[in-house]
Amino acid sequence: MIRFSNVSKYFPTRFGPKYVLKNLNLEIPDDRDIAILGTNGAGKSTLLRLVGGIDFPTEGKIVSDRFISWPLALASGLQSSLTGRENVRFICRIHGMKANRQTEEYVKEFSELGDSFELPVDSYSSGMKSKYSFAVSMGFDFDTYLMDEIMSVGDAGFKKKCENAIGNKRASANIILVSHNMDLLRRQCNAAILLAYGRADFYESVDQAIFRYQSL
Amino acid sequence: MKARSAFSIQRDVIFAIFVREMITRFSNYTLGNIWLVLEPLLMMVLFIVLFGARGRGAYGFVEAPVFIFAAFLPFRTLWTATMRQSASARGGTKGLLEYRQVRLFDVFMARTFIEGGLFVVIGVILGLGMMWLGYDPWPDDLLLTLGYCAVLWLFAASFGMLACMVGSIAKEIEKLVSMLTMPLMFLSAVFFPMTIVPQKYWVFLTWNPILHAMELIREGWMDNYTSPVADFYYLFGAMIICLAFSLSSYRLTWRRIVAK
Repeated sequence: MIRFSNVSKYFPTRFGPKYVLKNLNLEIPDDRDIAILGTNGAGKSTLLRLVGGIDFPTEGKIVSDRFISWPLALASGLQSSLTGRENVRFICRIHGMKANRQTEEYVKEFSELGDSFELPVDSYSSGMKSKYSFAVSMGFDFDTYLMDEIMSVGDAGFKKKCENAIGNKRASANIILVSHNMDLLRRQCNAAILLAYGRADFYESVDQAIFRYQSL
Repeated sequence: MKARSAFSIQRDVIFAIFVREMITRFSNYTLGNIWLVLEPLLMMVLFIVLFGARGRGAYGFVEAPVFIFAAFLPFRTLWTATMRQSASARGGTKGLLEYRQVRLFDVFMARTFIEGGLFVVIGVILGLGMMWLGYDPWPDDLLLTLGYCAVLWLFAASFGMLACMVGSIAKEIEKLVSMLTMPLMFLSAVFFPMTIVPQKYWVFLTWNPILHAMELIREGWMDNYTSPVADFYYLFGAMIICLAFSLSSYRLTWRRIVAK
């Protein structure tokens, strides 16, 4: 359960506070996979960052008892001068994992990078980077995975593999997904949050949320 | 995944950043991580040769190279490097803060530990080298010297942290701090003992806590040197005040700093 109680978030700008969320009360159930919908700048990524604990609400509280992944976006949190393997090691270390070897090999295999895994991350193409960051997150057992447009890059075969991998995690985990790809959202999610007009509404049905989103 | 205590999370994170900083700092250089030690080492050797050759025996109470060693090493590694690394912690580590375990404070801690470690490593290497050349470079009162060094080190770390916090409001502070480094070398009695400064000028210099640290370290290092101005309580007080300010400003601003 991830509970938002009275959460407000604004960014100070020259024109006064710009509210992204205002007095949001919301409960995200453990067994639902959530699609986050909204136009550009509506606060989808901010919402994800709030859930991920790397940004904080201006007012209110977000409470959760789950292990939540870092918000997975393209090449976020990767040190470009380190190799793929060294980046995995760093992430293992901050998660307190002692036996890194297994995770390293898993990521190497899953990401299909081959020898590039031993090269600095800044030599990767954007497709490789997305494969890589997706593989890294799959190497850890979180309760909730936060994904920000991560599955929209990469070749068709890999996309399929990603969806299978998420499917395997389903038994023990749920996902919160930001994407502009409606088919993907329909396939992967069974609930949605629509961000519009400074509000966030929870929808039990993805189709309904998508319909509302498209008629905004 | 297993829940960890706050302490063990912080320990893991600091260790991870420590390793990462060590790998990345000189990764683009041909000689790689050797530069971590080589850069300050070369600088020290240069200064020791430069000043040592010029002022041999000028200090009376100790050979010139040992004098420079005892003063420039703590100043260079414990003050300048530690302070600068903390002050610039916000810049190069944005990517790290994408992980919820990692906080800016861990970056400060890891960088401070690295500089402290470098101080010891470079000190031992240079000391052994000077011993080989026939000098007696080691501190006469090792524990006392290290104690003074630790206070200077903490002062530098908290000053750098404060500069980083204030720098997040006004970027000009970073410029100001880097401009400060050069004159501070002359204001802190690094290349001369306070005994050669006429008494009427002491009042212009003794406001500077680093000068007290340099003089105290010198006292601990060389038995037959007694500083006319050194005041441990002044240095310690300055360190405590600076630490209190930096910690409270960190507590007040860190959330604003991580917000995009």
